[in-house]
Amino acid sequence: MAIVQVSNVTYKYPLTDVPVLKNISLQIEEGEFVAIVGPNGAGKSTLCYTLAGFVPHFFKGELTGLVEVAGMESSQTTLDEWVLNVGLAFQNPFNQISGAKYTVFEELAFGLENIGVPRDEMRARVNEAMELTGISDLANRSPYSLSGGQQQRVALASILVMQPKVLILDEPTSQMDPIGTREVFGVIRKMAEQGMTVVLVEHKVEWIAQFADRVIALKDGQILLDGTPSEVLTSPILEESGFGISRYTSVARKAQELGLWKKDRLPITLDEAVEGFSLALAPSSSPNRRGEQLP
Amino acid sequence: MNNLSMYVARESGLHNLHPLTKSLLVLCLLTAGLALPGRWIGYIIFLAFILPLALWGKIFWELIRAVWKITWPLALSVLLIQSLFWGKGTPIFEFWGIAPKEEGILFAFISIGRIILTMSDFILFAMTTRPDTLMISLKQVGMPSGLAYIVVTTLQIIPSFQRKASTILDAQRSRGLETQGNILVRSRALVPLVLPLVLGSLMDVEERAIAIQARAFGAKREETSLIEIPDTNEQKIFRRILIILIPTIILFRVLWQLFK
Repeated sequence: MAIVQVSNVTYKYPLTDVPVLKNISLQIEEGEFVAIVGPNGAGKSTLCYTLAGFVPHFFKGELTGLVEVAGMESSQTTLDEWVLNVGLAFQNPFNQISGAKYTVFEELAFGLENIGVPRDEMRARVNEAMELTGISDLANRSPYSLSGGQQQRVALASILVMQPKVLILDEPTSQMDPIGTREVFGVIRKMAEQGMTVVLVEHKVEWIAQFADRVIALKDGQILLDGTPSEVLTSPILEESGFGISRYTSVARKAQELGLWKKDRLPITLDEAVEGFSLALAPSSSPNRRGEQLP
Repeated sequence: MNNLSMYVARESGLHNLHPLTKSLLVLCLLTAGLALPGRWIGYIIFLAFILPLALWGKIFWELIRAVWKITWPLALSVLLIQSLFWGKGTPIFEFWGIAPKEEGILFAFISIGRIILTMSDFILFAMTTRPDTLMISLKQVGMPSGLAYIVVTTLQIIPSFQRKASTILDAQRSRGLETQGNILVRSRALVPLVLPLVLGSLMDVEERAIAIQARAFGAKREETSLIEIPDTNEQKIFRRILIILIPTIILFRVLWQLFK
């Protein structure tokens, strides 16, 4: 039984006529790391809010279809119960700081206080989450004195500490530098390997290609493509529909047009690109080192 | 701490008092200073209790400075108004129709004593009590957690609101908005400054509501707290005494008024 089960979901925000989600159906297995890509206005954030229970419980509006997450059915469950199993972190880190706490350590404990976790366990869980997200050195700083990237790590940690079964992340690395992004993707990957189900909205396709198990491409509130990163991110439909694609894929596609790309499948990561181009550029006799320096 | 709270972090016995004990204590001192008979009782409580407590809390000079800053403009205006506009009384001198009265000056000093006491009492409490520990202890005696949340966040969010306002001001100025000049120019500039601030803040509120809800703010469970607020049996007894003492002072004052 899938941990996330969405069947024929159509959703309209209040006071609007056009549905943001149109007849969406999808299943996600436990421990899967699913990335959602799509242009602005495709309904990515709304889908996140739906899985996290905020649509329709918080935003109201009109939802038809069935949303089931971790054995709970959306129409039968209150938001207060829903959030105990499903965690949500979103883009703007500043608004995710509770404002009621003076240090990062206390900030992380905020959610645990609300669900009545005993103090010792709270400390242990907060320490664990800080270590995981690499913010242990910020423990005694005020959350308001941090940079955007640091605040995003705090926001992520304060959801991880709740140990949700399903983790919904809406562009959690938007303010991070490449090193921070890599670390956070590493953390998310690790959580998925430990059995947490992760749904991630992200524009940085190169990172998705490297870390996600599955990619769903969303356009105009509908699922355009759904499959492995390699299938979805190299699909010609994606580029035609105005999605961003990995630079490795686009270089290889140009090469393919010129007849230089020899493999069946286009690359989505640096390693695959290097492999393919070495094959294309190296004469079969002598090994050519140049290929490995291509971007 | 980058917020509006006046809290001064120190290691002291006063800081470590349970917030409820401390709030009852300052409430009791305030009641005594305002309700007990005697003209100079405000000053007496200030000198005999507030200042020693400030010494104990290691915030003596901080307190004096804060009280002075708030009190002197008030004190000055009270002194001027009471002395010059006192109806019938003994003028100290007369000069071009200006005749400060002795009785007015006396009354002004009594009032100033009360102002000093009230200000110093609150400041003493605010400087030695972290707002969040106060809220935790108030929640323990039945305050709704939503209300406690609002009080603590307001202290932190107002400074960030101010930062946001100055960002908007810079942004609009850099696009050529005139913000200096006569009243007309200034009031015209108000709309493009206030509107984004208000609308932006409303959007922030929605996101913040989602964020805290995602962290189970609405969960109907017994809450726990990370911060342990040390309490002792002595303090519990002391609190009971204060709870009895405060109404007693008021009662005493009422009876005094009736039978003197």
